[in-house]
Amino acid sequence: MAGASMKDIKLRIRSVESTMQITKAMQLVASSKLRNARARMEASRPYMKVARRAVWDIAAHNTGAQSHYVIPREIKHRCYIVIAGDRGLAGSYNANMFKRIEWDSKDANCCVIPIGRKAKEHYTRRGVPIITEIEKVEGLDLSTCEALAQRMLDSYDSGEYDEVVLAYTSFVSVLTQKTKLKPLLPLDTRDAPEHTSKQMLCEPDADTLLKGFLPQYLGGLIYAAACDAFASEQAARRVAMDSATKNAGEMIEDLSLRYNRARQSSITQELTEIVAGAEH
Amino acid sequence: MALIHLTIVTPECRHYDADAQRIVVRTTGGDVAILPKHIDYAAALGSGEARVTEEDGTVRHAHIEGGVLHVASDQVQVITSNFRWTDEQ
Repeated sequence: MAGASMKDIKLRIRSVESTMQITKAMQLVASSKLRNARARMEASRPYMKVARRAVWDIAAHNTGAQSHYVIPREIKHRCYIVIAGDRGLAGSYNANMFKRIEWDSKDANCCVIPIGRKAKEHYTRRGVPIITEIEKVEGLDLSTCEALAQRMLDSYDSGEYDEVVLAYTSFVSVLTQKTKLKPLLPLDTRDAPEHTSKQMLCEPDADTLLKGFLPQYLGGLIYAAACDAFASEQAARRVAMDSATKNAGEMIEDLSLRYNRARQSSITQELTEIVAGAEH
Repeated sequence: MALIHLTIVTPECRHYDADAQRIVVRTTGGDVAILPKHIDYAAALGSGEARVTEEDGTVRHAHIEGGVLHVASDQVQVITSNFRWTDEQ
């Protein structure tokens, strides 16, 4: 009996060991990807700030023209651009995003533009209408984002939805990532910075300027958000895999102890049996 | 001497963030030079050359395609997705 249990334990140790090798490798891959992703994210952050301010400024001067990009409509349909991961095994990274959106969209009809394989799978399974999609977050380039923004603007123009929200996970530190919902359309001029200038010259008029710049601007924002989200994903995976590796180590220690105990007790039993046999 | 603060950004990178004497860019309506104390201004950029005169007087050349020029109280921002210094090897 002791022998069988020893064999079982040995098998389990071996399987935990191979799992540990995988988690360890995944952790290393995530760390190296995180380094590059962080550099890309840092480079894209200034754009978000600078471009947003400029567009706020221009939109604030667009009140005369009453562009439908600025005036809020009655919200019947909402569109979420959801940036999630390409793969799982990143702790609660993907789940947090989906939960946040589910919680936010309770009372509205909504459709989604998923970016990343996990997001696409999630919404296909749930039967949420998908406008268009991008399969991969990793290595996403600017022109793809701009094409997506153009497609999104076209649907917005035709009244398919009345509000567009960008949902992504923002990188705070390796240990903390925050899900963020950022309204993209209509352009929100209410929280424009205080120092928005009163008088401004626009060439050509503000309306044309906005219309021409929006696909580029929104594409840029989506790109920057995707960089941010990708860095978050790698950080989340690194942390998750780090703790998985630690847990596997603990498990192996525990199992080895049990294995040694079982081995010891089987030896003791054998000895007892031999001694008992010799006495007779 | 009065200067403008010039920021040139693309989603991929911040290409410039420093004081400058002057910038000339091609808007959809023609070339425009921005000097200090310019009126608050926004313009759609076309495709063409841009010239930045830096604080020390050196002139740098670049190529811009599309985007927006935004001026607000001597803060000048060029926001584009296609920017390349042409004087860099």
